[in-house]
Parts: sequence; structure tokens; C-alpha cells
Amino acid sequence: MLGGEDKMDSKYYETWEEYLAQHPELEGKPTQAIAPKIERYEDLMFTFIMDLLL
Amino acid sequence: MTDVVALTNERNQMFRDLFSGKTPKRVPISNPATQDFAIQYAGLDLAECQWDLTKLEPVYDKFCQDFITDTYPGGSIRIPSHYQLLGSTPIIMSSSGFMQHPEVVGLLAEEYDQFIASPYDCIIETILPRLYTELNGEPGKVAMALAKAMRVHSDDMAYLGTIRAKMNAKYGFATMGAALTEAPFDFMADFLRSFKGISGDVRRYPDKVSAACEAVLPLMVKKGTLPNPSMLGYTFIPLHMAPYLRDKDFAALYWPTFKKLIETLAEMGQTVQLFVENDWMRYLDYLYELPENTIMRFEYGDPKLVKEKLGKKHIVSGFYPITLLQTGTKQQCVDKAKELLDILAPGGRYWWQADKSIINLEASGPVVENLRAVLEYVHENGTY
Amino acid sequence: MIDLQVLTQAVGDLDEKTILTMINDFVATNPSGEDAQKVVFACQQGMAIVGDLFERNEYYVGDLIFAGELLSTTIDILKPVLSGVATQKVGSIVIGTVQGDLHDIGKNIFGSMAEAAGFNVYDLGIDVSPSAFVEKAKEVKPQIIGMSGVLTLAIDSMKSTVKALNEAGLRDSVKIIIGGNPVNEDACKQIGADAFTTNAAEGLKTCQGWVK
Ligand code: B12
Repeated sequence: MLGGEDKMDSKYYETWEEYLAQHPELEGKPTQAIAPKIERYEDLMFTFIMDLLL
Repeated sequence: MTDVVALTNERNQMFRDLFSGKTPKRVPISNPATQDFAIQYAGLDLAECQWDLTKLEPVYDKFCQDFITDTYPGGSIRIPSHYQLLGSTPIIMSSSGFMQHPEVVGLLAEEYDQFIASPYDCIIETILPRLYTELNGEPGKVAMALAKAMRVHSDDMAYLGTIRAKMNAKYGFATMGAALTEAPFDFMADFLRSFKGISGDVRRYPDKVSAACEAVLPLMVKKGTLPNPSMLGYTFIPLHMAPYLRDKDFAALYWPTFKKLIETLAEMGQTVQLFVENDWMRYLDYLYELPENTIMRFEYGDPKLVKEKLGKKHIVSGFYPITLLQTGTKQQCVDKAKELLDILAPGGRYWWQADKSIINLEASGPVVENLRAVLEYVHENGTY
Repeated sequence: MIDLQVLTQAVGDLDEKTILTMINDFVATNPSGEDAQKVVFACQQGMAIVGDLFERNEYYVGDLIFAGELLSTTIDILKPVLSGVATQKVGSIVIGTVQGDLHDIGKNIFGSMAEAAGFNVYDLGIDVSPSAFVEKAKEVKPQIIGMSGVLTLAIDSMKSTVKALNEAGLRDSVKIIIGGNPVNEDACKQIGADAFTTNAAEGLKTCQGWVK
């Protein structure tokens, strides 16, 4: 996880915890494998988007 | 261990020393010329090479072979494909194939409140559709454009990454990671309000400018974070607007969130490299307050004064005027390198870089020869 | 009647609200063209104050940009009442940012200061090719050509532009001034310009000297 996401406050960015809360179907699944992947692509998208403005 | 691996290790150690305030074995060097220069140096077509990246491997090979540098000379570059697919207006290819950034306004003055309420929402919903034509329109069209752009960008980056890995393996460069971010005020200025727009905002609605900088700070921190803060590398932050502001506007609007950004990154254990563009001499006391070992690459100013004021706490770089390479004789160019080495190298904390990047090459001019002479000179005479 | 001294000071202070209120009130009185001229002159004097403060490092580039914007807004409001008055121009200048360079802030600042000082300014915009400079020079026969550029490659473009002016046989009939951060004495010599500056106010003085 990068810094700053706790204060993102955006409907286009979810931390893993926020994501999980929205997706009860993941309960009981191997979240230790799922979490880093979901987070990784959330962050890749963030970096891509921000690079469009730098 | 092969010689090349040993060389990489040695160079990595130089930068580790440099970044932690220890005197390295010698003054580390980064070639100021960029990919555009390299393509022209290889005699190839700028536009074609940036679209067909397979052309770039021999370009980099020749470039790395002929110019001494401790770091891979293919820093942050813009590749045209995803900009094209997104219908970019802020970054476009010029007729000569040069990726350039015309002045744009992504955020209107009356949208400050919306931005302050949620910067990232505002970026996605308002700013990007305004600046990137393919992100404006039917959701389906936007989704397709974004997917294609994201994919081509990741393919392009991966390809450039393999070239970089090959060059590192062949030439033994230091292996450093980098993240790019901006001071909140500069971010508000560059693609959002424009240089002109922000200059008016500072006088018309300073409170909103200040609130917007605060609001966007967490995004700037996040953008500037390396995948792993303890890895060898740095957050690169080019600084734009401060020299154009009055002292009191700088103190009230630029400095507070900029300082927080640097401090937050430093607390995470990251090295930060500031590209201190234009002339910051009147702000040296402010710069002094920044965390120890912050790297500051200067464009203009008085190297002696900077060494004196910041040289014991921070890492100084830059100052070498690349225009001299265009207009000077070889001897003048080398003399200038010597002059800066004499001032800035004693006691360590000096990284040889130029005052700006060399973004083009006039084939008939003296730049190639002068640049090579300077790099060689610093390499040979920069040992401690 | 509008207090011209207060107006001049307001322009010097870059006090937008006061300026706009004064100008709008003035225009509402349906003034004569001659009176409007006086108002323009007062604004120009205010711009001179801005230039001074800039040279004294009290104002910076951001303030100059804002000043330029204020001035052009003001002139726009005054235009309807100004029309019909013949204006005496002190000289004419063709300006442009040279080929390959898109930076125009410095050029615009110089342009608006030159205009405020009574020059007829033909602005060719950005990324201006040597031939575009030549064409315009043939057309309007200016006393001065001002080239701007901040990229290092601008030096090369400036060189080609002077060369093109030479080839077109125009070089001897104009003075050439170059501006922008990378210009210096060496560059000026190599390019074959008559003067260089990294300061718009200073550049303006040079130009005023040429047309005296
Ligand atoms: C603002 C800015 C931009 C803005 C430009 C907005 C605009 N509408 O002009 C934006 C963000 C769009 C931009 C884009 C780019 N920029 Co830029 N930019 C700058 C910056 C920060 C300030 C330049 C500026 O406007 N200065 C303020 C003005 C007022 O100063 P000035 O031009 O010197 O003008 C004064 C005097 O010289 C004089 N003057 C100027 N012209 C004239 C003409 C005459 C006739 C006279 C008498 C006087 C005169 O009057 C002015 C007031 O006193 C500089 C940093 C720097 N140190 O200069 C980089 C800088 C110039 N940019 C740079 C680069 C690389 C770029 C890009 C290529 C980036 C990219 N890859 O896309 C693009 C340019 C594309 C292109 N082809 O031009 C580099 C250039 C490096 C190099 N080797 O040449 C710089 C130096 C940054 C850096 N340190 O690396 N940039």
C-alpha cells in the first residue's frame, strides 16, 4: 500500500477494507492472496491517472 | 561476480553513500541528455522511434556506450501511444516528433470548490474529460479508450524496462527506482489552472488556492511513494512556480503543503530529489528547513552560497549550464565543470547533473563533443 | 470625472476591483475619445510602476502575468469609447516565440508592456517558423523584430530566423532583440541579434532607444 490512501475520500478509489465491505461474496475466500492483487490494480490505476496530469 | 555486476554494486554503493550523507568514492554522474537526444544522436527519426520502441534498443546502446554516466540515461519520458489513444491535449507530439506540453486549463476557477471537496473525483469527472477528448462522451467509449491506453502504456513501459535491464546488465549502471510527484501548488498550476490562471487566482482567491493545495496533498504523497520506501531510489519532484511568486504568496500558499509533502516522504524513509527550477536564491532559508539529505538539483543561482548554506545538511546538484555546451569551446566547458567541482565536491554531498535536460541535438553543433569532454572530466577528476 | 492618479496607482498596485469599478463607471458616463485616451495613458503609467516594482524585485513574474491580463481587460472595456480616435504609435514591433518553442509567457509580458508603451505590436504567436517572421516583416516593415524562446533549442531557431531575414535582404532594415531565459551575450553574438535581455522592462528600454 502507498501513503495517503486513507485520505483519498473518493468514489473512484477504494482501500481493500472498503472493497471487502462492498463484496461479501469474498468472505471465506483466500483474502491474503486477493487483497494485494486488488490493491495493486487500484494503485496502478491511480498512478496512471495521476501521470496524465504530470 | 562479473565485472559488470561489480560495477553496479559499486555504483549502487556510491548512491547509497550519497543519499545517506556519506562521502562516496567519487562524485556520481548522471548524463543530462534525454531519449530525444539519443534518437537524434543515432541519426534516427524521433517520431518513428517513439512509436516503434523496438528501434530504441540500438539507440540506447550507442548512447550508453558513448557517454559516461552512473545512472541509466533514460529517465522519465513520455511515450506517445497512450496520449494518442486518449485524445490528449496537454501532451502532443510536435511536427518534429518532440513530445510537448502546451499550456492547458483543466480546472476552471469556478470549479475550485468541487475540487476541494474531492480532488480525485473532480479529476476523474471534470478535469480528465476536459483535457483528454476520448475520456469525454459515452461511458462505453470512455471505458474502451481507457482500457486501450492503460494496456499500451503498460506494454510500452515493460518494453522500455527490458531495454533498461539490458543496458544495466551491459554497462553496470546503478539500479535505482523513482517515483514522480509535484508540490501541491505546482500540481494546481501545471495542468489544472495553468501558469496564467494560477497567477490570477493567487490574487483573486488565495483561500481557495490554499484549500486546494491542502486537499490534494494526500494524492501527491501517494503519487510520490516508491513501491518500497527503503529501496535505492528517490522521489523526483520538479519545482515550478515558486520563483514567480512574491515572498508573501510563497510563504502563504506554496511552502506549507510543499514542506509537508517532503517531510511526509522523508518520514517514510524515502530519499527525495528536488529539481529546483529557475532561481531560488531568495528561498534558501526555507530550503534549509527541509529534511536532512534531501537532494536539490539547482538550475540557476550561486553555487558557492548554496554549498555554504545547504551543503552540510543537504545534497547539492545541478548548476552546470547546458547552454554552454552549445556556445562554448571544449576548454570553456571543461573549465566550468572544474569550477563547479571545486566549489561543490569538497566534503561530499554532490551529485553531478546539469542545470536542465538536453532535449535536442543540433547535428552540426558542438554539443556532443563538449558533453563527452565534460562527463569524462568529471569522471576522472571527481574521485575523493 | 475619473481620478487618473488614483487609477494609475491602482494599476501599480494591481488592485483589480478598484480598476474595474473605475473603468466601468467611467465608460458609463459616455466619455469622449480624448478622455478615454487619457485613461489609457494613466493605465500605461500604472504599468510603468509595475515594471519598476518588478525590476526592484517587489513584483515577480506571476504579478506581471496578472498585470498583462488586467491591462488587456481594461483596454477591452475601453475599446468602444476609444474607437475613432487616431492613435500616435511610437513604432512597430513584430514578436513571436521561435520555432519549436511553445512558451509564450515572457513574450506576452513583453508584448503587453510594449503595447502599453505605445508600440504597434504584431504578435505571431508561438512556434513561429523563420519564414513566418520573414513574411510578416515584408508585410508590415517593422522597425524591430523581437524573438522569444526559453528552450535551449530556441537558440538554434533564432539563428535560423536571423539567417532567413538575411537571405530575404531584410536584416539591415530592422533591429533584432531576443529575450527569454537561455539568451545571453554569447548566444546573442552567435545568433546575430542586436540586443538580448532576460528582462522585459529592460528590453523595452532598448526598443525605445532604437525608435527615438
Ligand atoms: C512555465 C513553463 C512552461 C509552461 C509554459 C506556459 C506558456 N504558456 O508559456 C508549460 C507547462 C506549458 C511548459 C511546457 C514545456 N516546458 Co517549460 N517551463 C516553464 C518554466 C517553468 C517557466 C518559463 C517562463 O515562462 N518563465 C517566465 C517568463 C516570464 O520568463 P522569460 O520567458 O525568461 O521572459 C522574461 C524575459 O526573458 C523577457 N522576454 C521573454 N521573451 C522576450 C522577448 C523579447 C523580444 C524581449 C525584449 C524580452 C523577452 O521578458 C520576460 C519578463 O521579464 C521554465 C523554467 C525556467 N527556468 O525557465 C520551464 C522550461 C523552460 N520548460 C522546459 C521544458 C523542457 C518544457 C517542455 C518541453 C516539457 C515537455 N516535455 O513537454 C514543454 C515545452 C514544449 C515546447 N515545445 O515548448 C525546460 C527547458 C529545458 C531545455 N533544455 O530547454 C525548462 C527550462 C524547465 C527545466 N528547468 O527543465 N513549460
